[in-house]
Amino acid sequence: MDIKISHNWLKDFLKTSAKPEKIAECLALSGPSVERVHKINDDYVYDIEITTNRVDTASIIGIAREASAILPQYGIKANFKFEILNFKPNPKSQKLNKLFIKTNSRLNKRVMAVVIEIPKVEKSPTWMKDRLEASGVRSLNNVIDITNYVMLEIGHPTHVFDFDKIVTRKLIFRLSRHGEELTTFDNKTYKLFGNDIVIEDGNGEIIDLPGIMGTKNSVVGPETKKIIFFIDNNDPILMRKTSLNLGIRTLAVQLNEKGVDPELVASAFARGVELYQNLCRGKIVSKIYDIYHNKPKIKIIHVSLDFINSRIGVDIPAIKVKDILTALEFKVSLIRNTFSLTVPSFRLNDIDIPEDIVEEIARIYGYHNLPSKLMKGALPEKLTDSPFQFEQKIKNYLSGWGGIEVYNYSLVSKDMAGNGALKLKNPLGSDSEYLRTSLKPSLIAAAKQNSGQKDAFHLFEMANIYLSLDSARDKLPEEKMVLAGIFANQDYRLAKGILEAFFEKLHISDPKFLDNLISVDGLYYYEFEVEKLRQMHKDFVAFKPIPTYPAQIEDITFEFVGETKIGQVLQSIEQVPWVNQVELVDIFKNAYTFRIWYQHPKKTLTDKDVEKIREKIILTVKKKFGGLVNN
Amino acid sequence: MEAKTDVDLDQIQIEYLGRNGYLTQEIKNISRLHKDDRKGAGIIINEAKKIVLDMIVARKNQLKDSSKEWFDKTIPGIKPSVGHLHLVTQAIAEIADVFEKIGFVRVRYPEVEWDYFAFGALNFPEVHPARDDWETFFVDVNPDKKYGPMVLTPHTSSGQVREMKRVGKPPIRMVNIAKCYRRQSDISHTQMFHQFEGLVIDENISVVNLKGTLDYFARNFFGDTRKTRLRPYNFRFTEPSFEVDITCDICNGVGCRLCKAGWLELGGAGMVHPNVLKAGGIDNKKYSGFAFGWGVERAIMMKSGINIPDLRLLYSPDLRFLIQF
Repeated sequence: MDIKISHNWLKDFLKTSAKPEKIAECLALSGPSVERVHKINDDYVYDIEITTNRVDTASIIGIAREASAILPQYGIKANFKFEILNFKPNPKSQKLNKLFIKTNSRLNKRVMAVVIEIPKVEKSPTWMKDRLEASGVRSLNNVIDITNYVMLEIGHPTHVFDFDKIVTRKLIFRLSRHGEELTTFDNKTYKLFGNDIVIEDGNGEIIDLPGIMGTKNSVVGPETKKIIFFIDNNDPILMRKTSLNLGIRTLAVQLNEKGVDPELVASAFARGVELYQNLCRGKIVSKIYDIYHNKPKIKIIHVSLDFINSRIGVDIPAIKVKDILTALEFKVSLIRNTFSLTVPSFRLNDIDIPEDIVEEIARIYGYHNLPSKLMKGALPEKLTDSPFQFEQKIKNYLSGWGGIEVYNYSLVSKDMAGNGALKLKNPLGSDSEYLRTSLKPSLIAAAKQNSGQKDAFHLFEMANIYLSLDSARDKLPEEKMVLAGIFANQDYRLAKGILEAFFEKLHISDPKFLDNLISVDGLYYYEFEVEKLRQMHKDFVAFKPIPTYPAQIEDITFEFVGETKIGQVLQSIEQVPWVNQVELVDIFKNAYTFRIWYQHPKKTLTDKDVEKIREKIILTVKKKFGGLVNN
Repeated sequence: MEAKTDVDLDQIQIEYLGRNGYLTQEIKNISRLHKDDRKGAGIIINEAKKIVLDMIVARKNQLKDSSKEWFDKTIPGIKPSVGHLHLVTQAIAEIADVFEKIGFVRVRYPEVEWDYFAFGALNFPEVHPARDDWETFFVDVNPDKKYGPMVLTPHTSSGQVREMKRVGKPPIRMVNIAKCYRRQSDISHTQMFHQFEGLVIDENISVVNLKGTLDYFARNFFGDTRKTRLRPYNFRFTEPSFEVDITCDICNGVGCRLCKAGWLELGGAGMVHPNVLKAGGIDNKKYSGFAFGWGVERAIMMKSGINIPDLRLLYSPDLRFLIQF
């Protein structure tokens, strides 16, 4: 979550002469992530990202405390001043206005409440308005503004009810039922999903969505005479669930869902009462209610100086470690190089193990003060059968012949997914609901999306397909790496030629692979399992001696009638003894010109020898395919 | 004409047309002729002069052509079709190369993964924002008794415990580069993206070694002048955890509109949490380690200065985009 901290406000609790820019820089390097600092009127505002584990820093006092520990490490004097206020309830007020508050330890850790009489609901003083607005909160009236002011300053959300609107005087916490409705104070009606923490009045009417947002039927307005100042420390998991289900993301719930320290309830309560008394001339007219189910237990962490230093990688003296932890409000005792550390209540959610202490020392000591060294030690063994080099190589080949690599999404619509595709429970939309079992639909769509392109192009992709292994579907799918490509506006022979060259480079001679090139809607598509290619390919082939005796080369043109498979003709010619090589070099109408290499390994062929071979070729082609020599 | 060189031709020109040349002499001789013949002779001689001159020029041009053919350097070539590897492929190849040079082993682990490897083994509590269906994709199958629901892995960190189990006994230096998925799609997020994960486990691995590795990567991938810094952050599976920044390439670390006071965020890192080591069967008393997992797309943008206004373009098949790289 992101918060805004007013510099002027911060200085109420932090005594330092450091400039805002310097404070921002030091905090960012050693503590809260200050994104930037900017000037607003005669104040500065820090934009700070609060990580989920450090909700204790999401307040003015939280940042002041951190700054007081961090700044001295940069040679800057800083002192944190925060006193928990004490107030004396009026003994006469005890019996005036009674509340009935009912809750249980599953719903919250602590609840505090008091009834306060307010002479008049009016505007807040300018200084308060300015501070609220610098923090990104709109000022409404003094009664409501105090709840926000206390939350921003102390870090615990607080709430007020109009006392007279709760006729039953009952505040009963419970879980909601599915379908129950409530209207929040901003006049929006929500239907609850069920199992949301709500407060009802004993007659079944919901009078608050606690920790998240107030409801319209109990809200403070201009007519309000008495308020219930109310602080509830609720179960963070339920807070988050309700907030996300309803889409209500108030600052209050963003704090509550992170688990705010219940000890803070008392500080926030005291601060609130003080402000109601001072700014609204408020009078306490009830007893102070404090229901505290789960007072946190004391937590002590033991960690040795050796452990701290070996994890950080430098030697930090014990006294320095002690200073840092004391500034962070740990109680420190050191016996024979082992620290026993009592964790402050506001860090109980965050500090559990010695490694957490390492982090505290390292960050305050300063990561920038640590050297930078690569690790020593033995190197791990390489993967015995690593596929990555091969994958890169075949991509390089294809792009070398003009292929354009594309990355399509693995998540596709139902009609592009193929049979047996795995489905998502929570897709972002129906066009990305399934895991594809083939690259083909994506590539056809990709080619079609480029239909404006008039020149030939060749798109290819290498990606996993996801094959669910069995109908029980209790195993992870097989992730099979597939190479697929598509040619558009391309002559069949040119497309096929690229695959022929591809297999020549991989030294894969099995012509069956070329059958994978198929025609789809005027496009030519191919796909191969990469692993199969990798198993079949050779990096090197055996050396063949260079022929000692020269080849004789000549072109012969045959004419064929009807449909003739030229691939088979080539094969037949190649099988004739002493034909070393044969290629198709020209086509004119039904006349096909073949270039033929005659070669014998042991002697130079004479014209007479060649004539015999030629006759054999002509005979074979005539007999098998009806082809006649064209002169 | 049999002349072979320009010099020969110049000689012929002097012989016939020079001040004392043969035809010049003839012109001078006209005055000696009978008055009635003078005009005709003049025409003939001038014609002869013109013929000789034309022949010399023609032969000169001929000689020029034959010694060096007319050649137009400006005519465009005939290009073979030019192919393109995708930006992501280019980045992955470079990233793998940098880490392999310092002994990292490249691996790949499932993209469709059990919740256990994606979260549970990485010290995520049962209830955690990343684990709910607002952020992670769940596959519509029954959960496994041991490993929980089937998810699309939201990070390459799911390979950490798998790598520990594969290797068994440290040293481990892994770089896992794979597709990841998260439930968001806008101009700066695509629901499918790529990460590279580094994991190092051995005796006495410290924050100092993590800094050394990050600096090595930054220098070799981004360039000699780039520097990194660590800032405190929070991740479940590392303790301590950091956010890693690199100096901005636009302003060279001075501070500009595109960066935060001279720094750009590269991604997260940290020392491997002892619970993660335990889940991987590694003795966390004897060994320690660090890990980092960053976006490939982000790294390539930051390296190249290519500023793609909408990241979703990377996964578009539009040729007008693909052929640019």
